Amino acid sequence: MLYRLSTPGVGDEVVEIRVLQWHGECGKAFAVGELIVELETHKALIEVRAGQSGVLRRVFAAEGDWIRVGEPFAVFSERPDEPLGEDTETAAVFLAKFVVD
Amino acid sequence: MSAKAPRVFFREAIARAIAEAMRADPRVIVLGQDVGAFGGAYREFEGLYAEFGGARVRDTPVAEAAIMGIGVGAAAAGYRTLVSITYMDFVMLALDPLVNYAAKLRFKTAGRLTAPVVLKTTAGARGQGVAHSQCLESWLMSVPGLTVVAPSNPADAYGLMRSALRADGPVVFVDHKRLYPIPGNAPASDVPVPFGQARIARPGTDITITAHSFMVQVALTAADALAKEGLSVEVVDLRSLAPLDIDTIAASVSRTGALLTVEEGQLTCGVGAEVAARLRERQGGLNVARVGAIAAPVSSNHVLEAAAIPDVERVAQGVRALLRARESGHPNSVCSGGGPGAV
Repeated sequence: MLYRLSTPGVGDEVVEIRVLQWHGECGKAFAVGELIVELETHKALIEVRAGQSGVLRRVFAAEGDWIRVGEPFAVFSERPDEPLGEDTETAAVFLAKFVVD
Repeated sequence: MSAKAPRVFFREAIARAIAEAMRADPRVIVLGQDVGAFGGAYREFEGLYAEFGGARVRDTPVAEAAIMGIGVGAAAAGYRTLVSITYMDFVMLALDPLVNYAAKLRFKTAGRLTAPVVLKTTAGARGQGVAHSQCLESWLMSVPGLTVVAPSNPADAYGLMRSALRADGPVVFVDHKRLYPIPGNAPASDVPVPFGQARIARPGTDITITAHSFMVQVALTAADALAKEGLSVEVVDLRSLAPLDIDTIAASVSRTGALLTVEEGQLTCGVGAEVAARLRERQGGLNVARVGAIAAPVSSNHVLEAAAIPDVERVAQGVRALLRARESGHPNSVCSGGGPGAV
């Protein structure tokens, strides 16, 4: 099964978030609680930690890229070899914990 | 955008402009509360302390009159000082050195001394109550010798700060709390924005809105909404309040035939009053209306705060009312905010 990871809503003023650092490349399996990526708002750092286990398969935003709030920016799968569809909108929401520093 | 204009947070545009000025000129120093290792209340001084050290990036006590006084004195003695006063409300405490010393120094000494000091401060309502929400820039526009600028986006914040840090006289650089979350493309290299040059932020044909700082964003959103009603709104971003670019405003209004001024501060003796009066002096009959804060302090209660300051709907209402009035032949009775004729 495929999942999409989206940015969290962090208040109605923030419309864009920047990717600071990925903590693993495509193919890496993340366990629950593991740090996936750090995001940056104008004020805060957001740690995105896995809320379920999954394999990172595709990344739409490299470090330094900007993401609009609510947009999917990565695709996960349950198994490492699942075929990837083109349409991320139909993928389920990947559970994640957003920790604001 | 091209690689020449990377996308940055508002705070990064400011930090970059200051860092470049400090690299280019060892006389540039920064004074203020939490500007050092902490990096500024909005992180807009981040990186400066690490690069330039505590002698050039100086944390000060909570004593605005002293900070400003030291900043003006150091500037008169040969430094270029950037004084940070986090909230514009507390500029009140710094008015004497700013107005009586910095702004007048060039006049008092027949040009032999100048005070190249930049006061950077943050205005605007964002849930912080009566003494941390005000837009007082119109108070400062009336001081001879003061330059007052108010960017609405990262590119202009960068360009105006670059200009400010090489100006000969005192400059007040006013930004806004609600601009910090909005990123934008800012020039990667030294591209200053000259003082006294407004910018057409959105071209239109039916009416001109003038605004500065965060209200430009509000005006642009209102213009989007009004476009769906078939109204074409031109938005002029003033950028520089003193000097005011009346040429650009007059050219715009001569095309559209109507002017709505928008500001977050008070209407009485406000930016809009000045824009309208100067324009009226320049040209004859003028279809003009103003939108601004109501004549009351800005509450920390979110509902009351929102009621006090202009928003997209109030700006849109102002546009509709003025254009209706123009069509009916009674244009000069519209204003939204405090005072007579409020809608």
